[in-house]
Amino acid sequence: MRGSKRGTHCCWTTENQDKRQRQWLSTAQRLNCERRERHMEAVLKNLASTAELLAAAAQTGVVEHWDKQTLSRAFHWARYCEHLFSRFHNNSPVRRAMEKQLQLTNQSLQAALPGYSGVSFSDLSRCQHQLLVGLLNNPNLPTSVMKILFDSSPVDTKHSKYQDVTGLCSHIIQCRSVCKVLSPLTDSSAVGADAEVQGVMLMERLGAVMSQDSEACRAEHFLDSVLQGCEGEAKHFCLVIAAALLTMENAAAETASQDFLLDWLQKKHSVLEHMCSALPTALLMDLAKEHVKFRVAYCDILKNWASDMEYSINDGEWVQASTNPTVSFQKLTEHFLALFETCPSLRDDVEKELNALKISDGDFDVRGLSVWGDLLSALNK
Amino acid sequence: MQCAWLLRVWLEPLGDLSVRAMQAGNPSKFALGSRGTRTGTPEFLALLQPQIQLQETAETLLNGQEMQFWLDKVVAWGQAERPDTQKDTSLHLSRLSSYLQQLLTHINDMSSTTETMKRQPLLGQLLGRLCWNPCVTADDTSRGLLLQCLWGLYSENPSNAVERKANQWIRKVLCQLATEEDDAAAQALMKHMGVPPKEYHLKVLRKAVASLQENIGKSCSSLNISQRCSCDSILATSEACVPLVTCPEAAPLIGALLQRPVACVRATLSEDFLDALSSAYSSQGLSLEEQAVVSLWYHRLSTLEEAVLSLLESVLTNKGSVLKQAEENERVKSLIQTFTSCFLRELALLQPQKCVSLKAFFPQSPQSLLVPLLTLPSELPQEAWRHHLNWLSSSLQRLTEEGEEGDEDSSCSTRGHNRMFEAWFLLVQCAHWVRVTLQLLGTSGPEDCGPLLWLLTFYHHPTNRGHQRALQMVHAKEAWGHLHSLFSVSARPLSLDHLQSLVTLLSPQPKQPSLSPLLILSLLVNFAVFSQQSLSGSTHILQTVVDRSGLVDEAACVLSSLELKLNEGSCLSSDANRVHLRIEALQNTLTHMHAAMEPC
Repeated sequence: MRGSKRGTHCCWTTENQDKRQRQWLSTAQRLNCERRERHMEAVLKNLASTAELLAAAAQTGVVEHWDKQTLSRAFHWARYCEHLFSRFHNNSPVRRAMEKQLQLTNQSLQAALPGYSGVSFSDLSRCQHQLLVGLLNNPNLPTSVMKILFDSSPVDTKHSKYQDVTGLCSHIIQCRSVCKVLSPLTDSSAVGADAEVQGVMLMERLGAVMSQDSEACRAEHFLDSVLQGCEGEAKHFCLVIAAALLTMENAAAETASQDFLLDWLQKKHSVLEHMCSALPTALLMDLAKEHVKFRVAYCDILKNWASDMEYSINDGEWVQASTNPTVSFQKLTEHFLALFETCPSLRDDVEKELNALKISDGDFDVRGLSVWGDLLSALNK
Repeated sequence: MQCAWLLRVWLEPLGDLSVRAMQAGNPSKFALGSRGTRTGTPEFLALLQPQIQLQETAETLLNGQEMQFWLDKVVAWGQAERPDTQKDTSLHLSRLSSYLQQLLTHINDMSSTTETMKRQPLLGQLLGRLCWNPCVTADDTSRGLLLQCLWGLYSENPSNAVERKANQWIRKVLCQLATEEDDAAAQALMKHMGVPPKEYHLKVLRKAVASLQENIGKSCSSLNISQRCSCDSILATSEACVPLVTCPEAAPLIGALLQRPVACVRATLSEDFLDALSSAYSSQGLSLEEQAVVSLWYHRLSTLEEAVLSLLESVLTNKGSVLKQAEENERVKSLIQTFTSCFLRELALLQPQKCVSLKAFFPQSPQSLLVPLLTLPSELPQEAWRHHLNWLSSSLQRLTEEGEEGDEDSSCSTRGHNRMFEAWFLLVQCAHWVRVTLQLLGTSGPEDCGPLLWLLTFYHHPTNRGHQRALQMVHAKEAWGHLHSLFSVSARPLSLDHLQSLVTLLSPQPKQPSLSPLLILSLLVNFAVFSQQSLSGSTHILQTVVDRSGLVDEAACVLSSLELKLNEGSCLSSDANRVHLRIEALQNTLTHMHAAMEPC
């Protein structure tokens, strides 16, 4: 801004200067705001249209007249919505506006189409898939369009306005089949490729949530919801957690996320227990080697299992009192031995602890009286 | 195509040479590089001749036994444990594809789905089961054929319940194949995190490929055959990759398998894997990196043969572009020459009945030059060589003058230009005479060298843009002059002027037209080998020039090439031993120079 200190007679006094500056700024802001509002309007309109498109593709006879162009355009808009999701899912005000719009659109569509289930904001993350499912389940879809999607001939990179959808389904089928063909080969490693990918994605999302919000509760809420989502698939979840803790892809960012995950795990006792009983020993050893926190928690769990055991005279062996999940004395010993082999420094401390516990039990050397004594002798055989 | 017939005649006497390169069912067309179906095992090859088979015969083939065989197979695959299933499927994949092709033809021949189902009641079951076999759906060819079979059974206007049901079933199967997820837990998790299925599967695929690639990369240093090593998995991995040869995402893994150094006895690649690769290579379905393709050539000679043949075919059919590329591209010229000499050799071995006039094989070459050029130097007495070359040189000169005349009359000049090009091409094919030219130039006097130098310059620079040849001839004469002085027996001590001038000529010239450095280098090498100068003297000259101009590798190349041609040509000069000893000594010098230049 031009400034002049020539004197009060000049119109560009500091007062006037400030005033004009404020006016100018507010106008600029207002214009900017209007522009953003208009842009937002357009985006919401596109969103609504795409939701309508999805509904039409799945439930109406409109698709009878579709051709390759229409098909490509439809997938283009689905991709656009996926992009909206990735851009704004962490941006609360924008996200809220979009959710509101979707609610409105859902309502009007539900009135027009019976059995319409509606599209939520989180559905947008897989909009193309949604579109495809709708189309393929629509009996009105002409075979000409289906043939385009299932075309198996090599992809011809023609310069069309929209990204080519030719062979989309063929490619999906190929991709999934190749994964299945290769999975028996990769299963020899500790975690399969699929668990690894899921682990990486989990870490990425956790990292994103953590960086966006300094409050720990959001991240915790995220993990809780993931756990809830895996209800009934405990082993799978454990595998993914293990994979997540072992990924090495982006060391710097990961350490914080992995640390957070470990802290969260300490509070989820049942998950930890399940991990220790269900995962292969080799995997547990990798985890113990990598993360001290896990090592400590693992040790604690083993001790808990031991303290839970009672001597059964019929079996001539220590057995766990509780039923779920059961671990044999033999297995418990193997766990400890493996742990000592992987982390030799632990041995002394643990043995000291066990000894102290044995002493508190009466320091007997007769078998069957103290689980700690029997454990120690088994470990030192 | 004349070229096709030419190549085929050449291939026939050489029975072992890649009969697979030719489509079994198309004797009239040499279909190199065209997209074709997989070649199957011999018994099925015979079946792949639809134009010869009658409808009834085709049907009898498809009835009963074969369908039952495949159905039993597919059922077994669906039940067994995965690794064994996959291995067996991979083993049968190419045969299965052939069978699917037959089925497809059969389906298309039928007038309606009802009819098809009546004749082949088990067809639906077979196709349905095949859809859920990942090996079958992973491979491009079998997946494509399977889908086409399904579409073949779809009726646009269903006329009865059977057809309506078939339509429904087909749509359902296709929908399931493309959208249903069998790993519910993974999908739930991915949905929760907002990752679409396609992205997830792609990521898993890439991760699997990367981790397998890493495993393969681990080198094995076990010398003990009885010791276990990680190489056991190589065979299993290659077997699993049979259906994946055309999948672009699997290319890094396939490349790693091919390029793995074969140090361990156990690290063998499955034959089926190599078969599948060769097949895909023929139909240009491979998307491998260059290095991987080269490794494939090592593993499977037939793929190298195919590559060479397709290169030759393109060379012989696009002569115009060859001219532009071959200038300065000695490798292409060598290839052409080697091919021609092999061809002529085989032609000579053919029975007299099959003997065709040479004119048929070289229809566009100037006829007056044909026999003189095709005659091998070994077929003429050495004393006659110079006279022969002089004649060749003057004939070619006349041809080029005619070719370059007539700028006003475009058709005339094009014809003349073509004749000149054909003459040059024939010279390239018969480059044995160029070799002799170089040899004689090493021992000629200044009065004899003119026509020979012209011939050499023409070989390297066939085009005469802006009448540059005159200037190039001047340079050539200059170079020859320097060489002649340097290598003359009486030249002591070594003339530094001549040396330096030579080095200057060899260095890249800023202004056109420059003389090909390869021409000068070839002259230099030939002088070093054939002149009367002592070996130590010749070595010293060669060493100095090559060192100063930085062309050690190129010189070594020229030298080895010369040795090869002398060995195969069997038209050595009388002092064969002397020549070989000299070449060997010069090669040693160059090798030492090269080694000295390598960074420690």
